[in-house]
Amino acid sequence: MKTDPALLERQELDQVAEAALCAARVLMEAGVRAKVVHEDCARIARGLGAEHVDLRSGYASLDITVTRGMSTITRMVEVGPLGVNYRLSHGIRALAQRIGDDGMTPTQALSEMTRLKQQTGRHAPWVVALAVAIACAAFGRLLGMDWAAFIPVAASAAIGQSVRHSLLRRGANVFVVAACVAFLASSLAELGARWAGSTTLDLAMIASVLLLVPGVPALDAQYDILDGHPTLGSARTVVVGMTLIFIATGVLIARAVLAVPQ
Amino acid sequence: MTVDLLHLLHQALFGGLAASGFGILFNFSWPDLRWCAASGALALATRTLGQEAGWSLEAASFAAAAAVGCAGQLLHARLGLGTNDLAVAGCIPMVPGLFAAEGILGLYALAAPHPDNPTATALTAMEFTLRVVFTIGAIGTGLSIATHILPNRDRGMVMDKRRQNATADGGGASVQREALVKGVASILFGRRAR
Repeated sequence: MKTDPALLERQELDQVAEAALCAARVLMEAGVRAKVVHEDCARIARGLGAEHVDLRSGYASLDITVTRGMSTITRMVEVGPLGVNYRLSHGIRALAQRIGDDGMTPTQALSEMTRLKQQTGRHAPWVVALAVAIACAAFGRLLGMDWAAFIPVAASAAIGQSVRHSLLRRGANVFVVAACVAFLASSLAELGARWAGSTTLDLAMIASVLLLVPGVPALDAQYDILDGHPTLGSARTVVVGMTLIFIATGVLIARAVLAVPQ
Repeated sequence: MTVDLLHLLHQALFGGLAASGFGILFNFSWPDLRWCAASGALALATRTLGQEAGWSLEAASFAAAAAVGCAGQLLHARLGLGTNDLAVAGCIPMVPGLFAAEGILGLYALAAPHPDNPTATALTAMEFTLRVVFTIGAIGTGLSIATHILPNRDRGMVMDKRRQNATADGGGASVQREALVKGVASILFGRRAR
């Protein structure tokens, strides 16, 4: 029995689209800006044999159309919650470079991506909590916070990061998590800094929630708009704005509960 | 212009600490963290110098982001694919989280049933909000300008390959020196070094 060559080509092209789209989704979820996602996705598709590639990137989904000869395939994939994972994004981008330079089969590319997703390590949660603690306390010093509040801010930021990690692992809503963690961390920072004799209580409350400020998405949003992806950039901006509102709500509730003068 | 060296060192040190701390949150690998720290220290040192020269926060943030972006492009042969990400990590300590929070809290205060001095509150909230927008805009623009004026990706990929080949035969250091010289030349003479 002979298989139709046109059908074979469509099946292969389908795998090319799947591999390129898989890389694009991982890059988006790892906090990479749209221009880089488009470039690396196109590099992978061309390296796997596509002649023409079109990618459309939205905040929650990606669409790709790949063409070779007379065959054209269009596929769409949903994008999960956007975070920041530079180690994974560097791995995928290096793979894209390799595919673009040396070529690979779609099956090999997909298995390599699966391996990267599974094997790319993350820092242990306690290491992240400690790092965030140091970062927030250092940030507080940059804002003019006194030394007395340094340890309380570090401790409350570490607790806040641990709670955030735990809630996000359980699938809680990111905005609600931001408000809850902001309330918890700023309350603890205020109480701790007051106990330590700090005179910069307001700064201590704010410094302890700076781990929640979406700095990378804010810069990605601007990059996307500058690079000609205003829809995605606007969506990111709205998410950044909403996150800030929820953080401020958490701090406001903490101020009200602790009777901090407005 | 008088520079308070102690203040400058303080800002650079804590800028580096904040950037490397957030670098762990962003899952940079351990070897990349020193670059995060260097990037954050450079950003805060430049911003502090700008502010001590009498520039506004926004102008100083722009200059700092541009400096970090340019330094990243110069070191692209060494930093590889993570150049722009490291520059972003270095600029994170300059994101005006305090102003953002104060701006939104000011708007909340304005929405209270009987706000004290609503005009002053509105003006303060507006000022903080505008400063957030302009500062983030300045950081993003500074980083983008460095990336767009000094395009590096293709050259970087070539350098990555050449570095791999050269390292195999023991000549990695000379390739890195060559990349640095070409990067400086491209900035000084406004053209891409070939």
